[in-house]
Amino acid sequence: MYTIEICHLYPEILNLYGDKGNITALKKRCEWRGIDVKIHNISLEDDFNPDNYDIIFIGGGQDYEQEIVKDDLLHKKGAAIKEAIEGNKVFLAICGGYQLLGKYYKTKEGKELEFLGALDFWTNGDEKRMIGNVIIECDFLKSESFDGKIVGFENHSGKTYLGKDITPLGKVIIGYGNNGEDGYEGAVYKNVYCSYLHGSLLPKNPAFTDFLLEKALNNKYKDFGTLPNLDDSFEMAARNSVINRLITSNKINKLRKIF
Amino acid sequence: MNMKLLWHELRLIITILIGKILIVLCRFAKLGGTSFPGKVAEKLCPGILRELSSGLKLIMVTGTNGKTTTTRIIEKILQENKIQYITNKSGANLVNGVITAFIEAVDFLGKTDASIALIEIDEAAFSKICNLIVPHVLIVTNFFRDQLDRYGELYGTLKLVKKTAALFENIKLVLNADDSLCASIGKDLKNEVTYYGIDKDVKHSTSSNNEAYDSKDAVFCLYCQSKYEYDYHTYGHLGGFRCPNCGYARPSADISCTEIDEMKDTHTDIKMRVSNQVIKARVNLPGLYNIYNALAATACSEVLGLPIQNTVKAIGSFESGFGRMETIPADGKFLKLILVKNPTGFDQVLSYFIEQNDSNMQIAFIINDNAADGRDISWLWDVEFEKLLNISHKEPEFYVSGLRAEDMAVRLKYAGIDTNKITIIKDYEELVNKGLLRTQQSKSFYILPTYTAMLELRKLLKVKYNLHDFWE
Ligand SMILES: [Zn+2]
Repeated sequence: MYTIEICHLYPEILNLYGDKGNITALKKRCEWRGIDVKIHNISLEDDFNPDNYDIIFIGGGQDYEQEIVKDDLLHKKGAAIKEAIEGNKVFLAICGGYQLLGKYYKTKEGKELEFLGALDFWTNGDEKRMIGNVIIECDFLKSESFDGKIVGFENHSGKTYLGKDITPLGKVIIGYGNNGEDGYEGAVYKNVYCSYLHGSLLPKNPAFTDFLLEKALNNKYKDFGTLPNLDDSFEMAARNSVINRLITSNKINKLRKIF
Repeated sequence: MNMKLLWHELRLIITILIGKILIVLCRFAKLGGTSFPGKVAEKLCPGILRELSSGLKLIMVTGTNGKTTTTRIIEKILQENKIQYITNKSGANLVNGVITAFIEAVDFLGKTDASIALIEIDEAAFSKICNLIVPHVLIVTNFFRDQLDRYGELYGTLKLVKKTAALFENIKLVLNADDSLCASIGKDLKNEVTYYGIDKDVKHSTSSNNEAYDSKDAVFCLYCQSKYEYDYHTYGHLGGFRCPNCGYARPSADISCTEIDEMKDTHTDIKMRVSNQVIKARVNLPGLYNIYNALAATACSEVLGLPIQNTVKAIGSFESGFGRMETIPADGKFLKLILVKNPTGFDQVLSYFIEQNDSNMQIAFIINDNAADGRDISWLWDVEFEKLLNISHKEPEFYVSGLRAEDMAVRLKYAGIDTNKITIIKDYEELVNKGLLRTQQSKSFYILPTYTAMLELRKLLKVKYNLHDFWE
């Protein structure tokens, strides 16, 4: 019997855009395959030992809420997080959680707020919010049966820029992505996956969910191999309906611009 | 007469005329749109709202949840007191919608017999409308997360309401004492405040199940960021909060519910303390959240100095309006429509289902993501659909529809609901027929649409069951 231990960091504080759905997706897709799952809610002041967990998740919050966790994240859990990242632990960080792992956040007024600095990227605050549905294409998810496209919704005013050792999560097909400039979305370093996409992200992108689970299971069990398939017809219908709608409306908008 | 003044008068009259014509045309064209005539009027005669509202006492109702119901209860109170008023209809609660409502209510010279204007205003539009007109009484119901892509952030909305109200010290505030966000307005401003709230853990005395407390908003003190402690919770983050560090705590309520005598699925009997007198009252709407709406309306009537017996009569005879649980008879069965727009409201509806004893309940969710619904549907993941597993032994069946039907299906699947019990039906007519067919005689088919889905659905039901237009 396999067991997956999932750590949800600051669940009652960083939970802005249905982030709990990501935990639910990881949990359900294990249960449906007879894999045991334990969820550990780890918050302010709680002891945090990454060795106890196979996947670590951190979601997004409003500025006010990010302010609340910052001190605990940087000074109490920061060293352990950095060590776990270098040790190939699987992480998923969304939106505000993504930004917090980076080096700093520079406000619109030019004030530089120090963030964790676990990964080499940084975020600059901007006037305009980047809001809307997103499609990105992830090369690492491509297979004979899957086109690598994942969908979600973004809502951020920070523009994130990646340093040289960090690769993006995917190429933006529709949407803004990291900064609305370079055409990329998210960040990957070792087994850390970061993205601005919520929606929630994992439930309607089962290929990505399974990819993370397989990574974690193979990290833990040398003989694990691959996950058996599930019936994903609802999930794929949700994903495909977004893709079809966006591509159609995108075409119409392009036509409008021509005429 | 001064030419300039004459021209101004003329311009006002012409604008009102054009506005009134546009209102009729929009209705005739079945556009249902209530903001367009106001938009045109403001263009033709900037600041027209100030002009049309001069001499009226302005009451504004804002907040995330319950503003429509609260506004309609206050309307009922005004009727009980035979006070003439102007009001805007739900769905027309942005600035242009309010202008439309005034143009419709005044005569061609811009005059009215009304003495009060009762305005429901979207919390994000409150500061905009205050550039034009300032309320005498402002009622703030609560702050919850709502359609985040439209409003930016919860704390930003709160700050903006506070900042705007701070500019006008004469506004009399009516605030929810049980909401730490809402009550902070009273703490931070110098305005006169009337607080309303539920005094203690009234839920223990009712049949409603005590779910594990799981609030998503306002867990931490707004002033010092310590975690609040609670003497009791009512729902969401509402209740007897207090900060152990800085001492910020629920203010004592001037108007409060001290006891729930009986909670039914159509009404609640309560005891209410109003100016140190405890009275029995019936809130003629189901659910805890409607007690808050009734208390808010009662607090408003107290600020206006209206006799309490008329208020009690109004809240005891009030019937719900557009989409807030509307019952439509359909061949010996019923269609029940309940508008859903944010996690807290949605959770309340799901709790209501769990309390029903119907077996084989038929429930439909119609989820759209148009601008008026909120483009972002991630809020569905903050709704506790897992609760529905509590009634799974009664074999309910679920239908999903709307632009985001598939996302809703995924949400139900991950809540643990058997996928064989979830059917995607995009066509509304087919949905209504199928759901009704499977509903037992004299029972209800429950349909929960988001805002624009409600409008679309009502269009169909209007033809099918002869419904009134919602603005009538
Ligand atoms: Zn405090």
